Amino acid sequence: MDDWKPNPAVKPHKKRSWYLAWKYKLMNQRALRKLCQTGAVLFLLVTVIVNIKLILDTRRAAYEEEAESAQDYDDEMLNVEVPRHPVSNKKVLDVEVYSSRSKVYVAVDGTTVLEDEAREQGRGIHVIVLNQATGHVMAKRVFDTYSPHEDEAMVLFLNMVARGRILIFTVKDEGSFHLKDTAKNVLKSLGSQVAPFLSWRDMWTFVGKKGGEVYGEKHAKSPALSTWGDPVLLKTEVHLTSVEDAECHWPDTELNRRRKRFCSKVEGYGSVCSCKDPTPIEFSPDPLKDNKVFDVPVAVIAGNRPNYLYRMLRSLLSAQGVNPQMITVFIDGYYEEPMDVVELFGLSGIQHTPISIKNARVSQHYKASLTATFSLFPDAKFAVVLEEDLDISVDFFSFLSQSIHLLEEDESLYCISAWNDQGYEHTAEDPSLLYRVETMPGLGWVLRKSLYKDELEPKWPTPEKLWDWDMWMRMPEQRKGRECIIPDISRSYHFGIVGLNMNGYFHEAYFKKHKFNTVPNVQLKNVESLRKDAYETEIHRLLGEAEVLDHSKNPCEDSFVPDTEGRVYVMFIRMEQEADFTTWTQLAKCLHIWDLDVRGNHKGLWRLFRKKNHFLVVGVPASPYSSKKPSSVTPIFMEPPAKEEGAAVVPAVAAAEQT
Amino acid sequence: MQKIYKNAVLALLCLASLVFLLFQLYYYRPRLSQKNGTAFSKVRGSQLGQDSTRWHVVRKFLGAISSHNIPVYLIDPLILGLIDKDIEQIRSSPDGPSPECKYFCAPRDFTTFALLDKTWKHEASLFRTAEKMGFQWLKIINKDPRLDGIDDLTGIEIPLHYIFKLASHAIHLVVFYERSGNYLWHGPLRLKQRLDRKFVPFRKLHFGRYPGAYEKPELLLVSIDDLKVQIPKNPSSFLEEMSQSRFLECRYREARAFFQLYPDDVSLDAVEFRKKAKSLLHLAASTLNRLGVKFWLSSGTCLGWYRQCNVIPHSKDVDLGIFIRDYKPDIITAFQKAGLPLKHKFGKVEDSLELSFQGKDDVKLDIFFFYEEDDYIWNGGTQAKSGKKFKYLFPKFTLCWTEFVELKVHVPCETLQYVEANYGPYWKVPVKTWDWKSSPSNVQHNGVWPVDEWDNVIQIY
Repeated sequence: MDDWKPNPAVKPHKKRSWYLAWKYKLMNQRALRKLCQTGAVLFLLVTVIVNIKLILDTRRAAYEEEAESAQDYDDEMLNVEVPRHPVSNKKVLDVEVYSSRSKVYVAVDGTTVLEDEAREQGRGIHVIVLNQATGHVMAKRVFDTYSPHEDEAMVLFLNMVARGRILIFTVKDEGSFHLKDTAKNVLKSLGSQVAPFLSWRDMWTFVGKKGGEVYGEKHAKSPALSTWGDPVLLKTEVHLTSVEDAECHWPDTELNRRRKRFCSKVEGYGSVCSCKDPTPIEFSPDPLKDNKVFDVPVAVIAGNRPNYLYRMLRSLLSAQGVNPQMITVFIDGYYEEPMDVVELFGLSGIQHTPISIKNARVSQHYKASLTATFSLFPDAKFAVVLEEDLDISVDFFSFLSQSIHLLEEDESLYCISAWNDQGYEHTAEDPSLLYRVETMPGLGWVLRKSLYKDELEPKWPTPEKLWDWDMWMRMPEQRKGRECIIPDISRSYHFGIVGLNMNGYFHEAYFKKHKFNTVPNVQLKNVESLRKDAYETEIHRLLGEAEVLDHSKNPCEDSFVPDTEGRVYVMFIRMEQEADFTTWTQLAKCLHIWDLDVRGNHKGLWRLFRKKNHFLVVGVPASPYSSKKPSSVTPIFMEPPAKEEGAAVVPAVAAAEQT
Repeated sequence: MQKIYKNAVLALLCLASLVFLLFQLYYYRPRLSQKNGTAFSKVRGSQLGQDSTRWHVVRKFLGAISSHNIPVYLIDPLILGLIDKDIEQIRSSPDGPSPECKYFCAPRDFTTFALLDKTWKHEASLFRTAEKMGFQWLKIINKDPRLDGIDDLTGIEIPLHYIFKLASHAIHLVVFYERSGNYLWHGPLRLKQRLDRKFVPFRKLHFGRYPGAYEKPELLLVSIDDLKVQIPKNPSSFLEEMSQSRFLECRYREARAFFQLYPDDVSLDAVEFRKKAKSLLHLAASTLNRLGVKFWLSSGTCLGWYRQCNVIPHSKDVDLGIFIRDYKPDIITAFQKAGLPLKHKFGKVEDSLELSFQGKDDVKLDIFFFYEEDDYIWNGGTQAKSGKKFKYLFPKFTLCWTEFVELKVHVPCETLQYVEANYGPYWKVPVKTWDWKSSPSNVQHNGVWPVDEWDNVIQIY
């Protein structure tokens, strides 16, 4: 093509024959030229077409590539996402709800999601929350509204459930005795026509959408006081909505993605799932200056109390100086919901196959958790051990950061604990004050790795021994005379009222009035005086300046301590030998502090506050501080009450442990 | 004139088409080399294009990584090998411009980087950034071995490897975990069912065939080929370490089964002995490591590791093996300095050497020296009172790392053969009475020391 150079300007030749030949040739050439012209135009056209095609091809390939990688991303997200319920494509759910005296069950699309026919259990109103888009069970609760206050809990719970969720109610045995009007009105507002008139031993089932339609309700009246209503079986259909309608439209961030996953799975966590202004799940509290515990792993020991865990992790993550990367939650058993809570906060969780039963199970769980902690953080010299039913003080890590060097340097220390067994509202005063005590309080404490690895782990109670791990740790064989450092005002608060060794009454009596520090950045006082020898000097100084109280008065009376503030008082009680706590126990009882076993003592000395005065109790003659007793003073002796009552206390002591 | 005009137009058209053609080629070339994804995998750019592709991919990857503040370091054996040749020059001018692309353009399929697990989080946002840059990625997860030894804990699966692919080049990111014993561990690369087996040629990867154990490296920030990158301070020793990094996990499951059959001794004596044996082993390991003498767990200690992942409480001593070629005369003084006096010395360097040191709390440390023959390896024994010599034969073995009582130590990779040679086929059954002269199944009589040598070859303190 390129070598074709037409030259029409050439001069005609002189020679005719040659000219003719030339002319002929030229004619030919003209044809050729025409041909070539067409060819050129064609070629050009083809080039342009090919060009356009290529550009389009490239574009498409690039686009496809992008689409492909996006596809990968989708796949990956789908795998991470909650496995969808098989009914997700279906529009209608078949719901069956049964209520009777001895049995309740709920079946969704033929799958039983609740079945309770155990005797003496599960009395009251069972509530199930379903996701309106997937039919997933998001929460299951039972409120024993035969007993007082349970209806309040139910109202609280129902208020926390998001609008649009499907609620299923069924009564087992009796659910109306303590069902107050407030609760009845809430049920009425959900669309129930029967609830306001629900009475003694009626059977009742109800399915409705929160803030929407009613899918069905059945009721069987009890004919007489002594008999129950006939069993009722409600069969109904629930229309599912689309996933988009069931979800909130939060901005697409890493945090909200976690929130979304959590909120589409479980219910009953309140504002964390509200579409408008949800509670934050990241807290970024102020960092601590010179934080000595930033790299200390935190093990959170948990069971199946996800609501507790939620509350606990919130307070933990709000504490100043917290390092979320060092937190591991150890869940005893394959429970989903606690794991969901852990993932909501972006923490790591580990599940533990339950071994053994009751206390031994807890004990084995502790062992596995501690071993795992030191294995996951091989550099750590310490571990912070927390439980799922603790609130953590805002200065928890500040408190540890200021005191942890003692645990490293002072061999006579066993642990640092955030909990003062005797630190009640009326007996604790000074957030900057620390004590040394011979008992191990637990409930938020620091464990030294060498203690665990060299001493505790090798001889930890085996699964067949039904021991409490903390009781075992308190035994002299383990403690070997070492002491723990505790604050006067606790840095943790025990809020759990359901647990292995815990119930509402017990909690009310011994934990509810516990003092809990809420002041940030407390500067601890005189930390160095907590070392073994320095502490003795400190105690002698204190006893030296303490005023001896009037021992003729009754120490249980308020007037025993003068109405002053900021003074130091001392009293002497009878304590024949090291293990004689007769008088102390009686004194503890009347002071309304921990009296189920002996806590908080240091060489026969107890330190607490009364009426904002520092109040020292010395056991004479067992305590080495007995020498401070003026000879004129007779140690107070208090007698235990009559035998039967004492016997009643004994089992309580055994069960006196935090879960 | 018309003709001339026509011709000029034609010529112009031709020229235009030529320009178009050139433009096509010009436009196509960079697209080809840059976005050489699956769609264009058949098309191969020129050698030059490939070279710069590698450099480009590494640059992009480092960009993504640094925008997320993730500290990675280069462990690619090929590039580290090249770097090692010029290490002096690179060290002396850390910011010096390099004239040509010498390292990151070298022909290879992968560039390998390491990442410390605890130094990062939030992988999702890294993936998103990488995707925006055009990377495809693959994540390989598996069980967390740090929780394997703990009864009934189901750990989360942890990421072990990441592969980022762009065009014809891929970045292999190996995740290192810190483990008890102050060392770093990386996991094996095992593809699960649903993973794409053809994503990259996995067999050509330098890491992942076996798990590996490494010392924590000292890092150096260098600028090579216009890229700032962290490398191990001493590339040659890293490469040396890499060649012998294979790691064996303890057989925790079998150990649990063993304890089901023979419940563990948790008496106070047993607890005490284990504690003493552990501290003796730690002391011995630090002493030998300081001397640079390679050693491994032998005899009863090795059996304890293999069978029950712990010290056998009734074994009463700690046994180590050392190849005689690694023998150093200052071993004895080093142990004495560490507070372990020599208890006895049998044999001599040329034949059947065996050292025994007295540990601090009644626990003995036995060091056996191993002699390599063409098709077997042996160590010797000597009966003090009769001067009789014994020979214990082992099939040939190589050394692997493992973790034992919070220590990174060597064991024979072919542990089963080693243990079976020593203890016979019934090694799974605990035996409390053991006679080192007759019980081992691999013992042979090896004559008697000549009496005039006794003073030298039988020394008891």
